[in-house]
Amino acid sequence: MTSTHALSDLPRAALRGVLGVAIVGLIWEALVWALNVPSHTMPRPSQMASAVAATPDAYLSGFLRTLVETLIGFAAGAIVGIGNGVLFSKFTRLRQMVFPLFVVSQTIPVIAFGALVVLWFGNTMLAKSVIAFYLTFFPVTVNTLVGLQAVNPKQEALLRSFGASRWQMLIRLQLPTALPQIFVALRLASTLSLVGAIVGEWFGDTTGLGVLLLQAMYNENMVGLWAAILASALLGTTFYGLMALIERTCVFWRNDL
Amino acid sequence: MSLPLKNVPTADHQNTSPQVAPASTLLDLGGVSKTFGNVQALSGLNARIGTGEFVTVVGPSGCGKSTLFNIVAGLEEPDDGAGIQFRGQSCKARDLLGNVSFMPQQDLLLPWRTVIDNAILAIEMEGMPKAEARALALKMLPEFGLAGFEKQYPNQLSGGMRQRVALMRTFLFKRDLMLLDEPFGALDALTRTMMQRWLLDVWQKHNRTILFITHDVDEAIFLGDRVLVVTARPGKIKLELPVNLPRPRGAELVTSPEFISLKRTLLEAIEEESMKSFQATTGH
Repeated sequence: MTSTHALSDLPRAALRGVLGVAIVGLIWEALVWALNVPSHTMPRPSQMASAVAATPDAYLSGFLRTLVETLIGFAAGAIVGIGNGVLFSKFTRLRQMVFPLFVVSQTIPVIAFGALVVLWFGNTMLAKSVIAFYLTFFPVTVNTLVGLQAVNPKQEALLRSFGASRWQMLIRLQLPTALPQIFVALRLASTLSLVGAIVGEWFGDTTGLGVLLLQAMYNENMVGLWAAILASALLGTTFYGLMALIERTCVFWRNDL
Repeated sequence: MSLPLKNVPTADHQNTSPQVAPASTLLDLGGVSKTFGNVQALSGLNARIGTGEFVTVVGPSGCGKSTLFNIVAGLEEPDDGAGIQFRGQSCKARDLLGNVSFMPQQDLLLPWRTVIDNAILAIEMEGMPKAEARALALKMLPEFGLAGFEKQYPNQLSGGMRQRVALMRTFLFKRDLMLLDEPFGALDALTRTMMQRWLLDVWQKHNRTILFITHDVDEAIFLGDRVLVVTARPGKIKLELPVNLPRPRGAELVTSPEFISLKRTLLEAIEEESMKSFQATTGH
């Protein structure tokens, strides 16, 4: 009831979102024009659009390249993170041994880690995905673990009385119980993996949104910088929105989403 | 064959009650004790449940009913020295795990499963193919008052319906002994009465043995062939009261003199234990 209701509302909600963006864009355009703000301080949206239209290939290939890096890093982070969460919930000793190392790894600034990754993997797409992975696996691990530990012991006892094996317990009870928590992490990971991919590109590459950002900065090209920022925002928002949509479909029993 | 109660001579009750000569003892608990740290929950509890019998257990709160429940469900081991016999065989409590179909106080339905998929959870774990299990459950739905609700999710159901789904799950998991822990405790009085009559119907049709834990004296008498009263902690059986009332039992039964007199006996016994339990916790 609630899930179908929420889903049927979705196109309308999306339409309102698009409308909101369009209105903000118009106000932006009007303000910059009316206040006569120089374009090297704050360009107008129409200038950004024409900048993109002038060299569409650079933006398109940059967008796709960053998208692929982000997705690979995200997928690896999600799979490893969920796997780690499951392992840690089953083997307490393993958790006690390895988990502190994970925490230490997360205190290393991503910049320092990025330099290391470039030395190991060179200026490859893999290097960027590894950095995206590095930023995502930890929150997914922690949230999976928290979700798995939130299983009602009475529910576990009930399934045990039905003769459930450890595998059945995991698949039928523990993972579904943890799913809302896992999705919280996946939404977070969708934005973090984009950050990882862009930061990775700063260490050296020729295509990607991060490269466009860097080039615009060095050339003091304010219009190009804003165009790259908006392209990144589009990628990030679309990915995040998609994750939220999948979450609604998969975790349909939660009323409060 | 529901005769008006007042016309049934007392002596005839024994013939209509199925528990008088149970075919065999299904579960025999001898000297069951359980200590948690310095708290003794059960102390030398003895009980016997015959095949096909409906035995109810009442007692003051905190009397170790839940501990008894967990031991019979096979989730907890009693202290050393307890003798448990199941179908005439000596065994450990953990051997009962999987041999008893139990239903805890909460329905514990899985919110991501539909009514039908919640009902088949146990038999699916046993390895029955999902399609076959669903077909089996679908046939049982009308009897549990759930016809047409198979595709609904638990959060779309009322408390009474959720409880019936949980009971259906327990019934489908065919075991010699069914263990029910206050299954109607959270329901309103009217729904509870309906569910009690319905449970008796289903029990008689399916020929099961039931151990039913409750804190409601009326419920204990109305349902049971025998009522066991548990003492205040440490729990043991204080009183074993046969309920020689005819079956099938109707709503009018609860106002009959026989029922009232049984209730008086039980209430006196429980009152005494409740006082002890109360005094123990308040220190007076």
